[in-house]
Parts: sequence; structure tokens; C-alpha cells
Amino acid sequence: MGVRLASEGGFKPPSTADFELPPVFGDNPYTTKPVFLVFFSVILVSVFFILASRKAAVVPSKLQFAGESIYSFVRNDLARDVIGHEFMRFVPYLFTLFTFILTNNLFGIIPFLQFPTMSRVSFPYVLAIFTFVIFHYVAVKHKGLIAYLKEIMFMPGVPKPVYILLTPIEVATYFLVRPLTLSLRLFANMFAGHLLLLVFILGGEHLLQGAIGLKLVSPFAFAFGIGLTFFEFMVQCLQAYIFTLLTALYIAGALADEH
Amino acid sequence: MSPNSNNDDLSNSQNEENALWSIVGYLLSGLLIWGGIGWGFDQWLGTTYFLLVGLLLGAGASLYLVWLRFGRD
Repeated sequence: MGVRLASEGGFKPPSTADFELPPVFGDNPYTTKPVFLVFFSVILVSVFFILASRKAAVVPSKLQFAGESIYSFVRNDLARDVIGHEFMRFVPYLFTLFTFILTNNLFGIIPFLQFPTMSRVSFPYVLAIFTFVIFHYVAVKHKGLIAYLKEIMFMPGVPKPVYILLTPIEVATYFLVRPLTLSLRLFANMFAGHLLLLVFILGGEHLLQGAIGLKLVSPFAFAFGIGLTFFEFMVQCLQAYIFTLLTALYIAGALADEH
Repeated sequence: MSPNSNNDDLSNSQNEENALWSIVGYLLSGLLIWGGIGWGFDQWLGTTYFLLVGLLLGAGASLYLVWLRFGRD
């Protein structure tokens, strides 16, 4: 179908150009839609949780209940179960991270906003840098710089020449692969998801303008688009969860005493 | 691992989860680093086979590392 449409010269498939949105005000590159969405998400999350926690009562209102459910999920299921007895120090960061990523991901399927901020790679990069700095800082504070580097670079119980082989891998894992996979996983999922939705919904719209036979199949494209929107919702929640979970795991590793 | 972990089941499943993600990281960085070094040699010497050697070496080394970290008890 796609081939035939392309040969008719009509359908322009969505591409990376659909992610490069023009500045809203003049030429200022800091006024694009993703930037505004980030600020909006900060306001949204703040207002929601301030309202939810303002009139805390023993018998909670619906709003308070929703807020507390999210909070206790991050605190108990992520922070406490993963990090252990020192978890309370890291709950603010993990909670902020989770709600921030979740809100920005969900923007991808909220009508009229419809753009996942994290599909622009700089935002995940910044979040990964935060996590990177925090877990290294915690480890250095907890173990001391020399002991920490020694633990990373030199596995005990290995003949010395083997270190030539293993040390580069260990160093790369801690300083390169961890932050990179953390950010790219989030970015790629959001990017691919948004592209997928664009393909089905723009494709459905294009089919609707075609010959009668094409018009008949266009509802299927739209139906798929709607189905994938629910699938996307799942992915968006999952990615916010995984990013926070991995951050917690790295912090737990930084606090763990010895392997 | 940690002396004051109050729940052994909890810390066990948490260790497994930790191991799972670490293993993925090690395998990836093994390929990346030694493959990269092999590729660098190829660029330097004008050959083509060091990349393959590096990738195999990296895969082997990272599997060994995974075994060292998580396999032996």
C-alpha cells in the first residue's frame, strides 16, 4: 500500500523533520514547543501535588488519594525495595524524576499537546547526567574515591594480566554505557512511539483523500492508530518507571559495600 | 550483602534485578570498547579484521566478567 501511494507521488511519510519544531517566538531557538512543554510539566506536577497534599486528612479526598498513591509507589516500590535502609534521602530525587518523566511522556498522547518531550534527545541526556553525577557522588562519599575506583576497575581474584581485558569494560560500563543507555532508551522509545502514531494517523488521513478503495481501508489505519495510542500509554508509563528504577539500582550499587 | 537488610527475600530479588541490568550493561560495553579498539587498529593499519577480533574478544571478556561478578559464589 505504502509503495503504491509513494508511486502516486502523494504521501510524504513522517520523518525526523516532524520532530524539529520551529521556534514559537521569532528566531529564538529556546522557544520551541518541547521547551514550553517542559515548563508546563513542572507547573502541572507542582500544582497537582501541592493541591493533593495541602489539606491532608485522615480520610483522604480523591485528589489526595491519587497523589499519595503515586508518592507511596515511588517511595515503597522503587526507593525502599531497591535502595534499602538509607532510601529516604533519595526519595525526593526519584519522585521528581518519575513524575517529571511520566508527565512529559504522557504529553505524547494528550490531545492538543501531542508531543513527547523526551523524543528530543537533549532532555533525556540532561536527566541521565543528573543520575550519573548523583550515583557517582554517593559512591565516592560512601566508599572514598580511591576505594571506589579500585572496586570498579579491579575485580578481586583475577590474575593480573586479565585486567588489561576487563578494566576497560568495567570503566566503560560505569562511565559511558550506563548514562548513555539510560538516556537513549527513553529517547528512542518516545521517538519511535511518536513516529508510529504519526504513520498510522497521517496515513489514515491520506487514505481518506484517495480513491474509493483507499477510503474504505482508512478506518483500519485509524483504528490501529487508536489501538497504538493505548499501547503508547503503556510504554510511556513503563519508560518513566524503568528510568527511575535504574537510577535507584545505580544508587543502591553505589551504597552496596562489597561484591 | 548489606548487614542490616531486614528481609532476605527482598534483597535477593533486588540483587537479581540489579544483576539483570548490570549484565546487559557489561555485554554491551564489552562489545563497544574492544570492538572500538579493534576498529581503531583497522583505521590505523589499514586492515579490516581487527574489528572482528575486537568484537569477539570483547564478547568473551564481558561474558567472563559477568561470570566473575555474578556466577561464582
